[in-house]
Amino acid sequence: MVKRSGILIATAISASLFLSACTSRPSEEELRQLNDLKAEVSALEKQVPDKEKEKAKLEKEVAEKNGKLQECQDDQAAVRKALGQ
Amino acid sequence: MKTKLFLTILITMLLVLDVQILFAQEMTKEQWQQEMSQYTAKRNDLKAKLDKLNSDIKNLQDQSKKLDADVATCHDNLLKLLGVTQAEYDAFIDELTRYENRTNELMRLSDEELLKYRDEVMNMDKRVTEMAKHNIAMIPRIKSRIEKLQANIASLKKTLEKEKTYTVGTWAKDRDCLWNIAKKKDIYNNAWLWPKIWQGNKDKIKNPDIIKPKWVLKIPTGAELTKEEKAAANSYYRKKKEAAEPTQ
Repeated sequence: MVKRSGILIATAISASLFLSACTSRPSEEELRQLNDLKAEVSALEKQVPDKEKEKAKLEKEVAEKNGKLQECQDDQAAVRKALGQ
Repeated sequence: MKTKLFLTILITMLLVLDVQILFAQEMTKEQWQQEMSQYTAKRNDLKAKLDKLNSDIKNLQDQSKKLDADVATCHDNLLKLLGVTQAEYDAFIDELTRYENRTNELMRLSDEELLKYRDEVMNMDKRVTEMAKHNIAMIPRIKSRIEKLQANIASLKKTLEKEKTYTVGTWAKDRDCLWNIAKKKDIYNNAWLWPKIWQGNKDKIKNPDIIKPKWVLKIPTGAELTKEEKAAANSYYRKKKEAAEPTQ
């Protein structure tokens, strides 16, 4: 009985080790590549919101300046009209 | 014996399980490949997005610079049309802003407090009327500011023109006579202006020495007696003097 159990256990361990050993694993260099890539993605992800904010601020500025220009052009037209030009 | 066997099997199973877990934590080549592809795609998307954002930002910066120049040119042309310099324009706007702020301050005062600033309101009204005729007032947004200011000044003037009233008390309690009423700080703060009250209430006051309790007297505005008020006062003093002189 004991003998049979011992054989079973030994078979289980051998099978497990065999399976694990046969699976292909990435090299150290490949793992480093993946980590570098992840870091690069993370850095790029952080840049996007800053750039979006900068763009939104500039869009607002441009809209305000367009408004000012329009206002000035309207003023000019009104003054010309008042002066009879 | 049975217990020993059971323990042996249990320990062995745990050992096998540990080994399996240990190997499961490590990445397989396939998983690595998958993650590499996934992150590479993500990086490329992000790079493309950032390139687009940078390009948009550059365009907006260029637009902003161009607009600055266009606004400056437009403003210069406007000043040329109006025939004024930048300094004159700035001074005009400063003066207008100053009157706007001052009018807002005055509008918060009580009617009585406002009376102290009558001359200031009148001078401001005169100056703003002149400003409304200036070329700069042809600019619609300046014109509308001046119109609003004029409306506020008109409202102040209306308040100033409103007549104040005083309800006469008793001689016993209040010592009310025209002299004493005019002397009150919140009336004229000057007893010699009593004829103003008399002349302003001729319908009630036939004899300035007699006023009755509960009469509501109008208090005309002004810091000096008018010609008519002076004449009335002189006539009153003359009659008093005549009455006081002994008859021969």
